[in-house]
Amino acid sequence: MADVLNVGVNLEAFAQAISAIQALRSSVSRVFDCLKDGMRNKETLEGREKAFIAHFQDNLHSVNRDLNELERLSNLVGKPSENHPLHNSGLLSLDPVQDKTPLYSQLLQAYKWSNKSPFHGVAGGLLNQESLLARASAQGLRARQRPNSLLPPEYVDDVISRIDRMFPEMSIHLSRPNGTSAMLLVTLGKVLKVIVVMRSLFIDRTIVKGYNENVYTEDGKLDIWSKSNYQVFQKVTDHATTALLHYQLPQMPDVVVRSFMTWLRSYIKLFQAPCQRCGKFLQDGLPPTWRDFRTLEAFHDTCRQ
Amino acid sequence: MGVTCVSQMPVAEGKSVQQTVELLTRKLEMLGAEKQGTFCVDCETYHTAASTLGSQGQPGKLMYVMHNSEYPLSCFALFENGPCLIADTNFDVLMVKLKGFFQSAKASKIETRGTRYQYCDFLVKVGTVTMGPSARGISVEVEYGPCVVASDCWSLLLEFLQNFLGTHTPGAPTVFGNRHDAVYGPADTMVQYMELFNKIRKQQQVPVAGIR
Ligand SMILES: [Zn+2]
Repeated sequence: MADVLNVGVNLEAFAQAISAIQALRSSVSRVFDCLKDGMRNKETLEGREKAFIAHFQDNLHSVNRDLNELERLSNLVGKPSENHPLHNSGLLSLDPVQDKTPLYSQLLQAYKWSNKSPFHGVAGGLLNQESLLARASAQGLRARQRPNSLLPPEYVDDVISRIDRMFPEMSIHLSRPNGTSAMLLVTLGKVLKVIVVMRSLFIDRTIVKGYNENVYTEDGKLDIWSKSNYQVFQKVTDHATTALLHYQLPQMPDVVVRSFMTWLRSYIKLFQAPCQRCGKFLQDGLPPTWRDFRTLEAFHDTCRQ
Repeated sequence: MGVTCVSQMPVAEGKSVQQTVELLTRKLEMLGAEKQGTFCVDCETYHTAASTLGSQGQPGKLMYVMHNSEYPLSCFALFENGPCLIADTNFDVLMVKLKGFFQSAKASKIETRGTRYQYCDFLVKVGTVTMGPSARGISVEVEYGPCVVASDCWSLLLEFLQNFLGTHTPGAPTVFGNRHDAVYGPADTMVQYMELFNKIRKQQQVPVAGIR
């Protein structure tokens, strides 16, 4: 192995370079120590200044000296060979006992395989889903487990704008205030507004507010934290969060978003649809806030079982 | 603000205005409504001064200048069937300056005062309507905050009113029918109060028991 390494690197110079780095680091910290300590006590102010400046100059000189030394050594060290496509792991291919330990070819195969499968993230999401359903409220956790930017933003834009055109009474405004992940402001008729926080094409968080409520913070950004002042929209927010967990299909995130929006659209009649079970509008002062995931029928929260 | 319905509650038989108001508020408290301070809506009538009337003898229009404690910085000026102007409270000072054009009708001030109640997303205000020293009736205002289109939530409001007022449930306010899906605004509430006050003005004064 030793002669293999010697092909690219001068080991002795390497060791010297490392100690030169150490020397440089300690001389640099001496400079800062000197600055930190400031001027020492001397009889006169002039004397104090002179001593300080001299000390500071000495320190700077030694930094300069150590830096020059390091530069000289780094030229001697030489560059590790760069012909290997996988950088230093390419050195494995130089192992003379290739036949017995085919590490390098195995490594190449693994690399190709992981490169070729853009769906590994999706598979990961699928695996995570099982545990997810058990922990319905662990929204933050879900965000961490998901692959970050699986799909290009243009694709997300396209899916959203197609949904926007699908429902005339629903307008969707997409923005990206925090980099790649999109935020949607969905306005449903003159009934409600929904802030949807996306991660790629996955919906992370939704907040439902009234049509006449403010959805922006003081600095003009979408306010994704404060809840509605009205109990009816707090209830709908809870149901929308439940809906996110219900509509899960990690292989087809666009279908999920479309299903969710279709479900959300049924709230256009939030104040107009009586409960399908008890036939009334109000129960404990609230209209039917629940919408069945399949039939989209309206129910009071307590009438849906 | 949400959609609001203002109506008059007749005084219960054999009871005074004050007793009927107490009956209503007790009913609200039993429903689970919580007291949230007080409210006041007032209205003053102005008519166009004789000097500005044309020689054709056309009758002067009445203008109503109103305040609502829900909008403490605003003053509302309305004409019957006409436009509603929403101005700053300084408007009152302006009216004094316009004495030559608009004159305040004598003893025309009418107002309603009472308690605000919050029940879920509903805001209910039961008030005693007074003109001068005498109690003239009871006003009931129900606001449903989350909704902004009157026709969307009228059935829902009606169900609430029926639970609360029983046989005295009012019909849909005329302002609801005006514009199909327009956003309901504070002016619509003031128009309803103006109509309620005008109705009460024309009614016979309630028996002596109503005077507080
Ligand atoms: Zn029900």
